[in-house]
Amino acid sequence: MLSLTSRAWSPYMAGIVVGLLQIPAFYFIGTALGTSSSYVTISANLASFVDPSIADIKYAANHMSGAKNWWQVALIAGIVLGAFISSRLSGTPRWGTSPLWVRAMGAHSPARRYAMAFLGGVIMVFGARIADGCTSGHGVSGIAQLAIGSFIAVTAMFGAGIIAANLIYKRV
Amino acid sequence: MSVFASMLLGLSMGAIFGMALEKGRVCEGGVIVCQMQMSRHAMLKMFLSAVVTGLIVLSIMVGFGFAKLSPKATLFAADIVGGAILGVGIVIAGACPGTVLAQIGTGYKDAIFTFIGGLFGALLFTYLEPNILKPILTAGSYGKLTLDQLLGLPFPTVALTFAAAIIGFLIWLEKASPWEHEIGPDADGIPAESVALPAGVTGKA
Repeated sequence: MLSLTSRAWSPYMAGIVVGLLQIPAFYFIGTALGTSSSYVTISANLASFVDPSIADIKYAANHMSGAKNWWQVALIAGIVLGAFISSRLSGTPRWGTSPLWVRAMGAHSPARRYAMAFLGGVIMVFGARIADGCTSGHGVSGIAQLAIGSFIAVTAMFGAGIIAANLIYKRV
Repeated sequence: MSVFASMLLGLSMGAIFGMALEKGRVCEGGVIVCQMQMSRHAMLKMFLSAVVTGLIVLSIMVGFGFAKLSPKATLFAADIVGGAILGVGIVIAGACPGTVLAQIGTGYKDAIFTFIGGLFGALLFTYLEPNILKPILTAGSYGKLTLDQLLGLPFPTVALTFAAAIIGFLIWLEKASPWEHEIGPDADGIPAESVALPAGVTGKA
């Protein structure tokens, strides 16, 4: 049922696997699954090479060291590895950009898509840090803990996302 | 747990996470954008399945005392503003902060730019947080508010009832729109034929 050589699992099985990862996260690390705070751990540590005073910012200092922070950095590195293995085993590796972007935006140069991806990345993580969580931390983990703040953040995320996707892009 | 041991655990958990994101096809920008256009729902199905599993798993772990929950604080302004900015960013990037890493793993080139952009976004927040953002962020702060607390009921009772309601919704959604159809012929979330074609055009040459 969960064959690694199959191209896709049902979204239900895939979701169950993600949900089960809460067991080791809570049991061993004492935290829920999340991904967006690792961006702070990585970027603050990189920035400290050029600007050592970043460690004086309490928010940066809170994210720069410790088992919980580096656990999440390893987690996102593992995601790259897992997706790489999975896509090769099933024979669905990707390259370049998704045909989605021509459907959604019409013909355009790869450079334009790369610039957009960069900008999207900045906005996405900036927003996630303001909300203190992303699709995994607020969405999957926060709602599973019945946190009111997570219900609000996820509603805002989907609400704004739905408006943006219909305004910015052609119907895919 | 030592930093090294926690990183080994993180790496193995991440590998499973990454496989699930890839097999669930949410590593595809097409799946995410179509979800946000509300035309296809593979992302919502996977998301809600993970939530349901989490609700059940945490009910058991809390019930037997194996885990203590760590819900995030409720910050009305930050949750609404940050959530909305996050949603727009997801649409522009075609990825979430977690799924972008699965995109990198499958080989999409633009995902590398999204990830680097994400690092800059985190840095921007870190530098702005102490002086500019903090007053906005703490507006409407209610501490660690949860639905079970509000209702005055035990966590497992509310969590399992909510899980049952989501399962009911998913059964209905799957009947209305089967997932094999939703991921598209190339498993990238894109429909075989564009629905945006003007009337009279079939999309075939």
